[in-house]
Amino acid sequence: MSIDTQASTQAETGKRRLDSLTPNTKLILYAYAATAAVLLAGALLHPGFAGWASLRAMLIVASFIGFVAAGQMLVVLIGGIDLSIPWVLNSAAIVFTTAGLGQSGRLPYAIALALCVGAAVGLLNGLGVAWLGVPAVVMTLGLNGIMQGLSLGLSGGLTCSSCASYAPEPLRRLVQGDTQLLLWAAVAVFVTVLLSLTRFGRHVYAVGNSPRAAYLAGVPVRSVTVTLYTLSGVFAALAGITLVAYGGQASLGLGDPYLFESIAAVVVGGVSILGGRGHYIGVVAGSVTLVAIVTLLQAKQVPEYGRDIIYGLVILAILFTYGRDREHD
Amino acid sequence: MLMVSGVSKSFGGVKALRDASFAARPGEIHALAGENGAGKSTLIKVLCGVLRPDSGTVQTTGELATAFQELSLAPDLTVAENLFLHDPPRGRLGLVRRSVLAPRADELLRRFGVDYVDSRAVTADLSVAHRQIVELVRALATEPEILVLDEPTAALQESQVAWLAGHMRRLREQGCCVVFTSHRWREIEDLADRVTVFRNGSHVTTREKLGEAEAVTLMSGRSIDRTYPRLPPVPAGADRTLTVSGLRAGALREVSFDLHRGEVLGVGGLAGQGQADLFLALFGARRAAGGTIQLAGRPLRVRRPRDAIRAGIGIAYVPEDRKSEGLLLPMSVRDNLALGILDRLSSAGLVRRSAERAAVRSMVTQLGIVASRPMTQPVGTLSGGNQQKVLMGRWLLTDAEVLLLYDVTRGVDAATKHDFYQLIAQLAERGKAILLYSSETEEIAHLCHRVLVLREGRIAAELAGPVGDAEQIVAASMRERR
Repeated sequence: MSIDTQASTQAETGKRRLDSLTPNTKLILYAYAATAAVLLAGALLHPGFAGWASLRAMLIVASFIGFVAAGQMLVVLIGGIDLSIPWVLNSAAIVFTTAGLGQSGRLPYAIALALCVGAAVGLLNGLGVAWLGVPAVVMTLGLNGIMQGLSLGLSGGLTCSSCASYAPEPLRRLVQGDTQLLLWAAVAVFVTVLLSLTRFGRHVYAVGNSPRAAYLAGVPVRSVTVTLYTLSGVFAALAGITLVAYGGQASLGLGDPYLFESIAAVVVGGVSILGGRGHYIGVVAGSVTLVAIVTLLQAKQVPEYGRDIIYGLVILAILFTYGRDREHD
Repeated sequence: MLMVSGVSKSFGGVKALRDASFAARPGEIHALAGENGAGKSTLIKVLCGVLRPDSGTVQTTGELATAFQELSLAPDLTVAENLFLHDPPRGRLGLVRRSVLAPRADELLRRFGVDYVDSRAVTADLSVAHRQIVELVRALATEPEILVLDEPTAALQESQVAWLAGHMRRLREQGCCVVFTSHRWREIEDLADRVTVFRNGSHVTTREKLGEAEAVTLMSGRSIDRTYPRLPPVPAGADRTLTVSGLRAGALREVSFDLHRGEVLGVGGLAGQGQADLFLALFGARRAAGGTIQLAGRPLRVRRPRDAIRAGIGIAYVPEDRKSEGLLLPMSVRDNLALGILDRLSSAGLVRRSAERAAVRSMVTQLGIVASRPMTQPVGTLSGGNQQKVLMGRWLLTDAEVLLLYDVTRGVDAATKHDFYQLIAQLAERGKAILLYSSETEEIAHLCHRVLVLREGRIAAELAGPVGDAEQIVAASMRERR
């Protein structure tokens, strides 16, 4: 056998191996390739960009996107969407600060209360979508508006005038340290186990691929739907709590950037926006990619309007690459 | 006239048409016959320009109108809006004159003798038959020189078929060239001046006279050697597994029957006489308007499929449309097979992988499912026959004692059909109670201990089986029709 044919056989084996990957695995690989490409570009353009200190900072910022994207991904997997994330996050943050008053003793109570707010709104979203048949876009957008109104009205524009500090000290230390990254890892493990190893996870993918077929196979489509929207609310609340701890305050409009970013992270992470396909492990990469792009643009002192344009273009470019491949499936 | 020569068309590596040729003359009714997947629908789409052929030419002279099998009506528009979709009555500014839309539609429907269709109704609310009629009227109304109809009668009742036949003949007399496809040989014999047979995307023959037996041979490429297994007799005094009385649901008016252990009960009749409603209602996927169901002697209330699956000895339903109602195509063979028994395979919500693998392996072996990597391979990559086996396997794993099999051999190759016949007989022998519907009456004639013939939502006749002769069932479904 000549060297030439040997080489081509090897290349073919490699190609076959790539072909034999499930589409899911392929998209996860692409998501990480995209992250690597952005990081590499950053390292070339800006010395120190891919160093550990900078990487760690980016990971912490990405973790907040990671939290909201976890919830967003769960509902996207069944072909839904959660547009209520910004103000669920924000109202949870406000509830957390006003209930906690910055005192360590009240911390568990404040955290529980804030998570309950998220769960409650998520539950309403789920009930509206699953039982009343309200389209997810309408239902979640409506609740986003309601939560915005409630937050503004009840807080009177102020979150906690008597607080010395918004987040209790122990929590602040926690979030600013590596524990925040551990928390994100825990979320990643939770979501991955939930989706890949449990009966519930199978049900989720079944509903996402075909609600009708899942229903006829005995999958409790409605309760799956309600559970996922509830989880999305909880994750938004978790992001709200940790953001308060990280930034030290619960400002109004805190959650605004996270609607776009949650959806972008999910899609860049290789999750099909039509549902049924995708893994959280890809969404982790998606979240990091988004933060890396923004960080790089900031480091290069690109003016804000330019940042927004380039940010949008890069995301479109990434999705375009994914889309082209899918056509060949 | 209409002429297609040397047309090829592929979809992602699958050749739907290979070097296909076909010609039809003015003043004739020309039937296109062939098995599922023979390329008829693709040819029709190429004929009317919906699909562009990879190679070859299509020549048509004159106005062409088409009525498609997958209805091409916009579901959310009214009948009137659909009828005038392409050429609505317009005022001076080119704006649609909505006020005259409905009256014109009424006039059109009256002219075609179908004024029982409400022109103001939203199309999605119509029955499939009425939608098909609207689709047909829209095509007929253009008074085309070439009329192409893909499976126009599949959803129609006998009287409506006669109505359509009248219009097809009238157009023929006017020198129009009418091309249609049908799975009902009787219609082809009645209507067609010539028949063209397709197989595997190629033209096989065009004849003026063609008997059914020969046609089947030509379509399948083999002689009819359909052998049906011998059904084991239902043991005398077998338990009643399912007792249905006065069941009403959808088009189902009132139906009562018993189904015994080890019995295969056929549900026959013309298409659309309530068969689908019967199956769905028993499975809880269609709300019953009245009547009672007893499962193994105990009253059963099913509000959703989950209730039927979990009820007592278990009910399983294998739907006709495996792609949209049965399988999750992008998911693995494993995921699809195990979906019905996840409760049993899980502890504390976690799926026990080894138990799952064992269950999947056993079913893959038992049904002879050909899949190279059943644990990861998406079920959509399997052949149609293997897909259907996966769906069947999912329900067999649940150990349900009542099996509702709705047209399980549709769109399945001959070898798999044969496997299914064997399987049905084996399942009956093992004591399963099986309710069987098939769009191929012959299967019902050979595979059932008893046959219920449905007509207009009621049981019109009960035949002792195996009937053996499909004609008997057809005759029973048409007797005493007004």
